[in-house]
Amino acid sequence: MQTFLSGQQLEGSGVCFFGLKAILSSSTVSALLPARSPPAPSSPASREMSQKSERRGIHVDQSELLCKKGCGYYGNAAWQGLCSKCWREEYQRARQKQIQEDWALAEKLQREEEAAYASSQGAQSQPSLTPFSKFEEKKTNEKTRKVTTVKKFFSPSSRTAPKKALAARLKDSHEGKTPSPSISRQSSIETDRVSRDFVDFLKTLQKPGREIHKQSRAFIEGMANKKDLGADELSECVQDFYQNMSDRLMTHFKGSSERVERVMDQVEKYIMTRLYKNVFCPETTDDEKKDLATQHRIRALHWVTIQMLCVPVDEEIPEVSDNVVKAITDVIEMDSKRVPRDKLACITRCSKHIFNAIKITKNEPASADDFLPTLIYIVLKANPPRLQSNIQYITRFCNPSRLMTGEDGYYFTNLCCAVAFIEKLDGQSLNLSTEDFERYMSGQASPRRQEPEAWPPEGPCGGSSPGLAQVYQNLELLTGLEARQERVLEGARSLESDLISWQESVEREVQQILEKYPLEIRTPASAIDSDNVENDRLPPPLQPQVFAG
Amino acid sequence: MAAGGAGGASKTYSFKVVLLGEGCVGKTSLVLRYCENKFNDKHITTLQASFLTKKLNIGGKRVNLAIWDTAGQERFHALGPIYYRDSNGAILVYDVTDEDSFQKVKNWVKELRKMLGNEICLCIVGNKIDLEKERNVSVQDAEEYAESVGAKHYHTSAKLNKGIEELFLDLCKRMMETAQADERAKGNGASQSSTSRRGVQIVDDEPQAATAAGVGCCSG
Ligand SMILES: Nc1nc2c(ncn2[C@@H]2O[C@H](COP(=O)(O)OP(=O)(O)O)[C@@H](O)[C@H]2O)c(=O)[nH]1
Ligand SMILES: [Mg+2]
Repeated sequence: MQTFLSGQQLEGSGVCFFGLKAILSSSTVSALLPARSPPAPSSPASREMSQKSERRGIHVDQSELLCKKGCGYYGNAAWQGLCSKCWREEYQRARQKQIQEDWALAEKLQREEEAAYASSQGAQSQPSLTPFSKFEEKKTNEKTRKVTTVKKFFSPSSRTAPKKALAARLKDSHEGKTPSPSISRQSSIETDRVSRDFVDFLKTLQKPGREIHKQSRAFIEGMANKKDLGADELSECVQDFYQNMSDRLMTHFKGSSERVERVMDQVEKYIMTRLYKNVFCPETTDDEKKDLATQHRIRALHWVTIQMLCVPVDEEIPEVSDNVVKAITDVIEMDSKRVPRDKLACITRCSKHIFNAIKITKNEPASADDFLPTLIYIVLKANPPRLQSNIQYITRFCNPSRLMTGEDGYYFTNLCCAVAFIEKLDGQSLNLSTEDFERYMSGQASPRRQEPEAWPPEGPCGGSSPGLAQVYQNLELLTGLEARQERVLEGARSLESDLISWQESVEREVQQILEKYPLEIRTPASAIDSDNVENDRLPPPLQPQVFAG
Repeated sequence: MAAGGAGGASKTYSFKVVLLGEGCVGKTSLVLRYCENKFNDKHITTLQASFLTKKLNIGGKRVNLAIWDTAGQERFHALGPIYYRDSNGAILVYDVTDEDSFQKVKNWVKELRKMLGNEICLCIVGNKIDLEKERNVSVQDAEEYAESVGAKHYHTSAKLNKGIEELFLDLCKRMMETAQADERAKGNGASQSSTSRRGVQIVDDEPQAATAAGVGCCSG
């Protein structure tokens, strides 16, 4: 069961796991059905096949296998039920449409933005910000300085040369995914909305608004040509941009850091919404590999209890467990945000829910001694998607003033600590012996509960604990599912052998016929009509006669 | 903005200060006393005491102080570098009745100096001086040690609200001096802000190695 479900076989099928449809979408079986082969409805093999499947109680409607376009060829679930030819046509059309729409949207936006400024500029001709070139100069100076950054703590290998093979593999896996038009559609709507908000916000600034806008756009365009840069260089570019922009704003607003921050938040939102796709979990890093490692690690630690971590929350209190659930939801939600600051806000919300849970349990404000273990517990329970990628992304692309001294920065730092702890933790850090820790990690044993009466159970579905009864019920269900899975697999296997033997039988039949009616090619005789029997009955050839006269 | 990162006339300094020390020496009590003026009070309104801020005005300069509490349990010791990176100051607290807690402070000092050099302002704080009768760390030893490592020593009692205002005010002044010296060293205001860029400046070629060594020497 494990191996079957964990493969990519079910990917994208979305239909019932145990139906034959899902199996046909699996790579093994669909490979047997040629992509574009005309069906042979009356062949003896196909009759035999459908009889066999009926005996096993699996019914395949021929029409379900055919291309949904009705072209008469076999379809494939991987191509949404179309045959290869129809799929290609369909996909190209969708892509073309998407590209055209994107262009139209981009042009529309540009026009709108220009118009917005034309109208706001009109009467007043105010001093704009200092030209960009000056800061470019400074930027290059800065680059030569030796600055070691936070990132180094987390990504010791990110500065090492990109591992070509891995990058190539990741690239493959990315391209292998069929892009979902609805998702990219949605994200372009969001980009559209963010751009409009940005323009609206800048309009309220009047004077420097246009300049900020121009520079932000120029920066995004410049970044489009830098796709090949490593993650650190990309981060460097973005951070330089933040730095230059906030320096100039600082001069412009005469040192009012609050106003600068407000503008910088909007700038970050605008540029990172647009850059997100290219700079989140880039192929040049091993972010994705680390994500998977962390995910596996957290899964392997499923047995860690609240007592082992000394978490000061009592989930028996409904209000507390409510806050725990909310904290888990918040930290999971982080992955769905595109702007670094929005991701940070998720961590902050998560932390606030944790503080609530602690305060209700202990009736005193939470200290770091309470907060960190609880956050670790929440992360273990949530197993947030792409945790490492998100942390790296925030570290690389967040406006630095937020990460360094602000409240959000404190919670983010604690999340980094939680992840570091989870990566490194051993028996000692949970007050366990090394042997116990090893046994729990390998799944050979699971820790006994603190309350002896709840464990061991009296018998299956023992009345004492409803949770235990549920566990047994689930186990039974799983056993049942496993049996069904086995049956389905068996069916798939025999279908496979049916198809192979069908092919063989056709070959055999053809062979037999060929043997029965050998094709004889006889060499022709010397005269054209030498074999002709009828010739005997023909009159003799005319003889030449001489007439005297 | 960080480390004095502000230009123009109305300069605002923002400082990050970490609280380090063994569990139960009184870190949380100190900061709650300073920011909320409460001690062991069941009616504290604040939701949490792990991140607190205080605004000060020192010699006409505005200062935003962010105080980061750290988890003091032994099992979290190795996480220290993640907490104290970017810090302008560190408050190392021990309990005057507990000799062990003073040893822990010595270990922290070693680690911080190794990781952050002299950029960080260190304060060594002997807390619970109201329990003078049970004192187990001699005043002279503690003060001599502090001087030998370039730190300042303070005596406090969170219970009696003694020495705490002085501790934070003094620390802020020292951090301002460091920030101003930094600015001067970097010339005019133009490049000064680059200090604030993305935080940590570990002027060390191998921060990884240093982390490992620092943690190693203190966990033993
Ligand atoms: N007598 C006395 N007790 C203190 C003082 N400061 C803290 N405590 C007590 O020491 C214990 C631990 O304090 P806490 O602030 O939680 O220490 P932390 O673990 O370092 O944060 C608590 O019971 C406090 O009431 C103090 O100045 N004098
Ligand atoms: Mg504490």
